[in-house]
Amino acid sequence: MNLTCESVRRELPLLIYGELSFDEEENVQRHIDGCADCARSLEAERAMHAALDEFETPVPEGLLVSARRGLRRALAEELERASRPSLWHRVWNSPYLKPAGAFAAVALAFFGGRMTNPVAEKSDFDTENIRPVASRVRYVEPSPSGDGVQIVLDETRQRIVSGSLEDRSIKQLLLAAAKDPNDPGLRVESVEMLCSRSGEAEVRDALLYALEHDTNPGVRLKALDGLKTYSKDSETRAVLARVLLKDTNSGVRAQAIDVLTQSRNKDIVAPLQELLRKEDNDYVRMRTQNALREMKASPGIF
Amino acid sequence: MDRSGEAVASIGVRWSSGMDEAALIRAAQSGDQDAFERLVRGYDQSVLRLAHRLLGASEDVQDVYQEAFLRVYKNLNQFRFDCSFQTWLYRIVTNLCLDALRKKKVRREESSMVETSEGPRDRMDVVEDNHAVADPQRKLLSVQLKDRIKSTLAGLTPRERMVFEMRHYEGMRLRAIGDALGTSEEAAKNCLFRATQKMRTALGDFV
Repeated sequence: MNLTCESVRRELPLLIYGELSFDEEENVQRHIDGCADCARSLEAERAMHAALDEFETPVPEGLLVSARRGLRRALAEELERASRPSLWHRVWNSPYLKPAGAFAAVALAFFGGRMTNPVAEKSDFDTENIRPVASRVRYVEPSPSGDGVQIVLDETRQRIVSGSLEDRSIKQLLLAAAKDPNDPGLRVESVEMLCSRSGEAEVRDALLYALEHDTNPGVRLKALDGLKTYSKDSETRAVLARVLLKDTNSGVRAQAIDVLTQSRNKDIVAPLQELLRKEDNDYVRMRTQNALREMKASPGIF
Repeated sequence: MDRSGEAVASIGVRWSSGMDEAALIRAAQSGDQDAFERLVRGYDQSVLRLAHRLLGASEDVQDVYQEAFLRVYKNLNQFRFDCSFQTWLYRIVTNLCLDALRKKKVRREESSMVETSEGPRDRMDVVEDNHAVADPQRKLLSVQLKDRIKSTLAGLTPRERMVFEMRHYEGMRLRAIGDALGTSEEAAKNCLFRATQKMRTALGDFV
């Protein structure tokens, strides 16, 4: 097929992007081979592409980490919302209760801050910032001179502390944050950090507590991650077996199977058989059956 | 960087654990949080790059990233495998980016700013120029070229910009781009043609 210069030049970007069919590319290439003007246009097109490539903008350092962290928190909040009873959900979202909730959170932070201060004082924390983030008027009275007012404020101050996970005070704060009832995102992040220290008994206990009692499935899943190193520990296995049978989230049940079957201990056969008897999630059933098969155990209780 | 040919025909996610994508999606649909996280990790860098190039400011980029994957999470049970997961995801991402581009009417100055350790700077100014440093005249030309590319990109319509970015920088096939934008491959091709024509006209003196 004889192509015109105009039609060939229209196809040049597609040629460079590899978007032409085999035949189209052959026709265009044949024309270019015999047409100096179109060959020059192709070179110019390639030069333009090279210039555009050169100015590819890099994603700023840290943006991916920050975006992932934001998503993790948002997902944890989503899971929290999904697992809340609808009536409670409606009440919680009531515009009349929000100010009360906010005040309660500020008050809790204030008193919590007071309680944790002595711990912080003993540590080598680097205090980078101290600034009031919330305040509440405690009382108002005329000033002693009589020409103004005197207002007494309770202020909550925010401060940034940093230190190694080896630091006892840091660890205590993380253990406390892992149980913060108000912020599932904070609990997810705290549990995730604690996972790196899961060789320690108190951290293991905190992870077991989170797994069995946290209302947020995202937090429970993170705790399961950290408990993988304890798959042979009898107390951990006992908690995992209970979780397997009572957790309402199918993802948690599926992951609990993974952790339990890391070691081929036969103690898990009975809970798996029990799970299979009552499980209604197809995916978890399949995982349970596979686990029993791999352990050469029967799927039913006889 | 060679973006022509089959090598970059699609994003081509490889799953490390031997589990294929369909199995991961089914596991995630059944509530497997780990599987969902792995799905996100397979695509999130590409989503972030696209949003960053289109929207510039980090806050908008993070909003699009977060909202896109939250929508995936909430609607994953409605995914019926009647298109690829990548297409489905990019439908969500491109809609969000187009909305952001249109709604906020991102101005040229805004769209070109990036956060750096020294505060917000023009995104083109932070690109390292490997060739121009030693030659002042070339450096001047390079700065002018950056400005020209920046203003031309900002002058494209949101759809042209989207198609151009997805094809040129993400290496997506036009068919996949058409699917993601809910249009035909031919329409995506026309958009790309218009975008490259504008680029050619604007950069003709430099290249």
